[in-house]
Amino acid sequence: MQSLRNTILSYMRIGVSARESFLVREMYALNILNRPLCTTTGTGTSSDQIMARVIGLVKGFDRIDATKVTETADFQKDLSLDSLDRVELVMAIEQEFSVEIPEEKADKLKCCADVTEYIISEADQKIVEDS
Amino acid sequence: MSAVSAYLARRAAQKERVRILYRRALKETLNWAVHRHLFYPDADDLRKRFDVNKDVEDINLIDRLIADGEAAHNKWRHPDPYIVPWAPGGSKFTRNPTPPSGIEIIYDYGQEAEEAL
Repeated sequence: MQSLRNTILSYMRIGVSARESFLVREMYALNILNRPLCTTTGTGTSSDQIMARVIGLVKGFDRIDATKVTETADFQKDLSLDSLDRVELVMAIEQEFSVEIPEEKADKLKCCADVTEYIISEADQKIVEDS
Repeated sequence: MSAVSAYLARRAAQKERVRILYRRALKETLNWAVHRHLFYPDADDLRKRFDVNKDVEDINLIDRLIADGEAAHNKWRHPDPYIVPWAPGGSKFTRNPTPPSGIEIIYDYGQEAEEAL
């Protein structure tokens, strides 16, 4: 029954289908363009992309020497941030990824890899809640 | 010996309090700022106010300063703070909840099959 309906529908829609699918493809292309601009961490973002964004953010922080930033450089020891600087950095990360990092978790974020891990775990939680 | 450890514990607690106070105060500053470009100078001012008392050594004075700071923060609490949309209390919180199990969604009435052709 379903297949019969499909056939009938496909015959009836033949006039517009080409244009429609083109439009759909266009929209899809636009979606792809939009995705990096969007602040949420969707399912499509891999850990590499998140890591790149975190490192870019940390490099942009004005009290940090951008050349020293690596994935595992400790904020306090290697990048010589004091505790208040770290608070500012965590706030910047919260802003960038639109997440809320509780105070006790924020204390444990020591390097870029920790931050990435936390953001991914947060996104996974959100997906589990959604589905 | 116990006096030293008690002193160190008190210092650690004070550091913790200062950090939490700074975090809250920074968020409060963002709540009061209408635009981002207004927030940045305010945040710098806040940092300067914290840095003024950076080198204070007297432990009782530090306690008093922290208490003063917390009182000032409580006084300037924003009535309608910014909450991340999907955090509890945010505007998107529990928006579009998961449909109950057993409900099936039929997409596009066969159009996706047509696309595959």
